[in-house]
Amino acid sequence: MASHKSMLSPLRGTRRARRNLFGPVDRDQLQVDYQAALRKDLDEASRRWGFDFKSDEPLETGDFKWEGVPETRVPLLYRSCVVAPRRAEGPRVADATVLTKGARVEKENLPQTPEKRAGELEALERTPEKGDTAGLKRKQTNITDFYQAKRKVVWMPRKSGE
Amino acid sequence: MELLCLEMDTNIRARPDPNLLRDDRVLQRLLTIEERFLPQYSYFKGVQKDIQPFMRRMVATWMLEVCEEQKCEEEVFPLAMNYLDRFLAVVPIKKCNLQLLGAVCMFLASKLKETRPLTAEKLCIYTDNSIRPQELLEWELVVLGKLKWNLAAVTPNDFIEHIVRRLPLPEDKLALIRKHVQTFIALCATDFRFAMYPPSMIATGSVGAAICGLQLDSADHCQWGDSLTDLLAKITNTEVDVLKECQEQIERVLESSLREGRQQQQQQQTQRGPSGKGLDELDQSSTPTDVRDVNL
Repeated sequence: MASHKSMLSPLRGTRRARRNLFGPVDRDQLQVDYQAALRKDLDEASRRWGFDFKSDEPLETGDFKWEGVPETRVPLLYRSCVVAPRRAEGPRVADATVLTKGARVEKENLPQTPEKRAGELEALERTPEKGDTAGLKRKQTNITDFYQAKRKVVWMPRKSGE
Repeated sequence: MELLCLEMDTNIRARPDPNLLRDDRVLQRLLTIEERFLPQYSYFKGVQKDIQPFMRRMVATWMLEVCEEQKCEEEVFPLAMNYLDRFLAVVPIKKCNLQLLGAVCMFLASKLKETRPLTAEKLCIYTDNSIRPQELLEWELVVLGKLKWNLAAVTPNDFIEHIVRRLPLPEDKLALIRKHVQTFIALCATDFRFAMYPPSMIATGSVGAAICGLQLDSADHCQWGDSLTDLLAKITNTEVDVLKECQEQIERVLESSLREGRQQQQQQQTQRGPSGKGLDELDQSSTPTDVRDVNL
């Protein structure tokens, strides 16, 4: 993006790029808004699919007819890492699934940046609030953290307007 | 068999694929699907209560600076702006959260387009730590939901090669033209008036403005002149008048941003006094060489 440096530099003068634009962020309100946004998303998803993702049960009113499929019959990719209570009688299978899934996710989340580069950036990347940076890489949320659903129907036509 | 590790610090990139660039179907397909990724409303006239067009410009300029400083791929910034506009078209947001949204959009665009994406920590530092990585990651999920996970949006940058290769341009000038087109596209992304334009139109207008700006058409002016616009219009199925208007608008935006820049510079000079030539200023006076090339 070297070209912008020369042509667009008049846009900004000599400011530093590191700056806070609109004053302090209201953390508590942000957290409230975040939870509300997630809840709204989940409600919309429930309505759309006729499935209560919280209780993991189909809704009576939905357009879809849901049908249970044993976990062993779907590809590994579609198996949930959340062990539902009613599947507890098969601990062997469940444990195996959890393990495989866990291992796979772990590998995916490994930072791909070469060691050298990571070291270089470390000083820059460390935020003043120490301690909470350590676990961050692992803490990145998965969609399954919020939608504890098992995909029972594998394929469905997409709704228009997407 | 011997395995060699040739991995370097530079990003290895694929060569342009002539199969993709010469096949008309690819361009036609891009033109067909581009409308899907436009923001659905001119959101300052309804959805948004707390934020104003000038605030979008502020956050956009900041995002551009971050992308520059981090040497992001060219399309990261326009793509991030596309996410920002699409989100703002559906969710009202408070002024104090606009920078968080900008950071989230860069985070996503960078992950989609780059070999080494921007990290959450780095982006938070660029907000002067006004947001935390955890908040960035949380809101990433919200933004993804609102964008319906449709991240691979068509950007003006996707059209550059398709357009440039269909024009009779001197081979030795192509790199310079591309550079100027990318700059015009970035400039358009900072200006809300372009937010609802189809990416192909912005790309076509930017190519036109770049060629005119570089005066590549001056040698045989009569031959290029209107025929350049006609040719451009035909390539992306744009109406000639609309395209002309778009190109002029782009040129006006560049002109006003340059004027603003000069004023800012003068202000800084007067503030500092005639003798106070700082390092920054030296840097500034040496930068606008490209702008002179554009020759306004």
